[in-house]
Amino acid sequence: MKKYLFLVIALTALILAACGGQAKEEKTESETATETNESKEVNLYTARHYDVDDELYAKFEEETGIKVNVIKGEADELLERIKREGDATEADLFLTADAGRLYRAKADDLLQPVSSDLLDEQVPANFQDTDQMWYGLTKRARVILYDKETVQPDELSTYEALTEEKWNGRVLIRSSENVYNQSLLASFIEIDGEEQAKEWAAGMVNNFARDPEGGDRDQAKAIAAGIGDVAIMNTYYFGQMLNSEDPEEVKVAEGLGIFFPNQDTTGTHVNVSGAGVVKASKNKDNAIKLLEFLSAPEAQETFASANYEYPVNENVEPSELLQSWGEFKEQDIPLSTLGEHNAKSILIFNEVGWK
Amino acid sequence: MQHRFTNINAWTVSAVIIIFLLFLPNLTIVTGLFTPSNENWEHMKEFVLWGFMKNSLILTAASAFFTILIGLSLAWLIAQYDFPMRHFLKWALILPLSIPPFIGAYTYHGMLSYTGVIQTTLRENFGMAINPAYFDIMNLPGAVFIYTMFLFPYVYSIAQVYLSRQSASLIESTRILGKGPWKTFFQVVLPISRISIIAGASLVVLEVLNDYGVVKYYGVQTFTTAIFQSWFGLGDIESAIKLAASLMGFVILILMIEKILRGRRQYSYSSTKVRPLPLIPLSGWKAAAATGYGFVILSLAFVIPVAQLIDWTVLTYGTIPMGEFMNYVKNSVFVAGLSATLIIVFALIVGNFARMVRGRLGKLLPRLTVLGYSIPGAVIAVAVVTAFIGLDRFLTPFYVWAGFSTTLVLSVSIVLLVTAYIIRFFAIGYNSIETGYDKIGTDFRDASRTLGLGVTKTFFKVDMPMMKGAIISGFILVFIDVLKEIPLTLILRPFNFDTLSTKAFQYASDEKIMEASQASLLIIGISALAIVFFYKFLERELD
Repeated sequence: MKKYLFLVIALTALILAACGGQAKEEKTESETATETNESKEVNLYTARHYDVDDELYAKFEEETGIKVNVIKGEADELLERIKREGDATEADLFLTADAGRLYRAKADDLLQPVSSDLLDEQVPANFQDTDQMWYGLTKRARVILYDKETVQPDELSTYEALTEEKWNGRVLIRSSENVYNQSLLASFIEIDGEEQAKEWAAGMVNNFARDPEGGDRDQAKAIAAGIGDVAIMNTYYFGQMLNSEDPEEVKVAEGLGIFFPNQDTTGTHVNVSGAGVVKASKNKDNAIKLLEFLSAPEAQETFASANYEYPVNENVEPSELLQSWGEFKEQDIPLSTLGEHNAKSILIFNEVGWK
Repeated sequence: MQHRFTNINAWTVSAVIIIFLLFLPNLTIVTGLFTPSNENWEHMKEFVLWGFMKNSLILTAASAFFTILIGLSLAWLIAQYDFPMRHFLKWALILPLSIPPFIGAYTYHGMLSYTGVIQTTLRENFGMAINPAYFDIMNLPGAVFIYTMFLFPYVYSIAQVYLSRQSASLIESTRILGKGPWKTFFQVVLPISRISIIAGASLVVLEVLNDYGVVKYYGVQTFTTAIFQSWFGLGDIESAIKLAASLMGFVILILMIEKILRGRRQYSYSSTKVRPLPLIPLSGWKAAAATGYGFVILSLAFVIPVAQLIDWTVLTYGTIPMGEFMNYVKNSVFVAGLSATLIIVFALIVGNFARMVRGRLGKLLPRLTVLGYSIPGAVIAVAVVTAFIGLDRFLTPFYVWAGFSTTLVLSVSIVLLVTAYIIRFFAIGYNSIETGYDKIGTDFRDASRTLGLGVTKTFFKVDMPMMKGAIISGFILVFIDVLKEIPLTLILRPFNFDTLSTKAFQYASDEKIMEASQASLLIIGISALAIVFFYKFLERELD
């Protein structure tokens, strides 16, 4: 009998040993972290995952000797993880591609204010959180793309005009599950109030060329396929398509014109990717250094142009392609309102039946 | 007598501990059922919930139906008849499992879209401008097609092994009695292979219920959509967990139905040497039809998407950094191998417990561990993180004593990720092991016990050798699933830890499906190798 009990115990011990062995490894890692803490490491939770980001982190390490440890994931899930980890979290900096998520991080009390003259100099005030909890790093506009053959640019004016009778069955946009649409509607809630925002959403649903499906690029393709004539898309997707490895995608993009709506009224909707220092950060100074590095002119150029985005640093010119689209007037609202109205916008989408 | 009793206890104790540990994180979710409903919940109920549920039901029912139709018909052809290329198709038809459904979904959409190879070729080479709406795969039927194509091997592989080996004598008897093939199929094959069909189909159903990648991209709103909408959109994790708990309740219902449908199992081996079924040769158009059918399915579910991925890899070659790819391969294989090994060991213990224990409750207990497979990965992730942080807090005094600088040790290590995999994929391994135990029945064990061998000795000397096939098939299935897994790996990985699937997802989520092709092909390649190895092993076992 003892023999069998022994077997089971041995098995359990084996499993525990496997876990324990791992824990030991962790131990040595954390020990080295203790000794070098505050000087040699910064832990980044990021929802932005372009290959060029890794190159920038490597460059940062080269310049400062600070190693950037990265966990890449989806914004909401990373936030949830930081929240659950509480005071013990390893995260120092949280980076994501939507102002609404930055707002939520702040609202959930996960970020801390940081002040740095360099950051103030490099990031314009309207792309910073009012309490300096987060800083924008790149920006993008949500614009109208139109079929050069069937639509003249002078037919277009505003987002609101797309709900007119004339566009019935011609408008393309992706599902309301996507955060860019939620932020767009949130901006209308901020500017025009809930009632009008809801009217706009209902009017859009009414004019849909088809039930929303696919991503932003798919809306452009649907124009080429003749399913609709105008699409609402983020600028960088248009940039990506123009530079695609697939000649067919380039052809589609070349058939499209870009239009910045609401130039005579409230301005085109813009959103940022940005980052904030985590409240329980143990390497705060390093996190600030990384923020400063990413908003400095050298990094801004690569950081923004990698994804055909606009740099936030005003001393940096956008890439040639973006310059060719011309300058434009942006919505003049605090970006945190995109987050404040996020939940409201989802409820509206559900109510008007925007899939 | 006392001797035997204590042995059972040792197995029982470890089995109950495993079940408890696997179920523990799910408790976070179960408690969600009892939180009072808030405004968001009411809103969801009023506007969207019923529509989402309807979609989910149609999606799962249709996927189950078509996977059974295709999986079982192929299994039957391969098990019963001989036709050209049968030998090749027999293992090649498992290959579609190696393609992650979300990659399949992106690939098919890429091919069928306006800029895809099909419409482009028609336009440019034949001057045909067919209504692009005909090529639209991004809808509910499209999602059913994707699930059917990339999940039917679950039904096929289990049913095929079963039909070729298990049912040989029964089917032979029917033949001798002069029944035609259709009658044989409906009156004998279908009833006796019920267990294996249900085992395969329930994996399909669970997989469809927890998937988010395919339906999100295709714009099909399901129950999972509701979970993520309340969590991410409304920032209301309570409603999200409440929804997940309801989903879990639904899954428990399915599992109970499955158990009832399995009913009294009475078709276990009657001799240790299982005779394979003698094949009926097909000729002429019948042979051509059988081969053709196999190849049509194989092309749709494997050859065509892989060819497209290869094409994209060539197109984008050199545009993305490849230097770290060996590392991704190493990481992927390491976590998949470790998780699969642990799952099989646990499943063997729990499965052995399940067949020894008497009483309904005891039989049902192991089924609880299967729950993890039904819940969307992101929700499991939260449950596991919560459990581990609790554990770390509990261990904090020890950490302090040991001089650690941080109080989060386990929850930032790979232990977290591997545990989550085990909770998530235990069902897959357990299903194989349980089917294996079912197949060998209890006669041999009872004989061995009567002859005086203890439970543990019987297990290693009598059961294990007969279980080899089940162990390896379970291992391979889990291994492939971990390799393909995405939400858990994304959320729970330690710092600077990338796998092939996180890499593929990284590009795909940015709508860069062409750039995702390299990593996808590597996932498919490694999984395919594992499948080939499995097949070769089975062959040797049978001969």
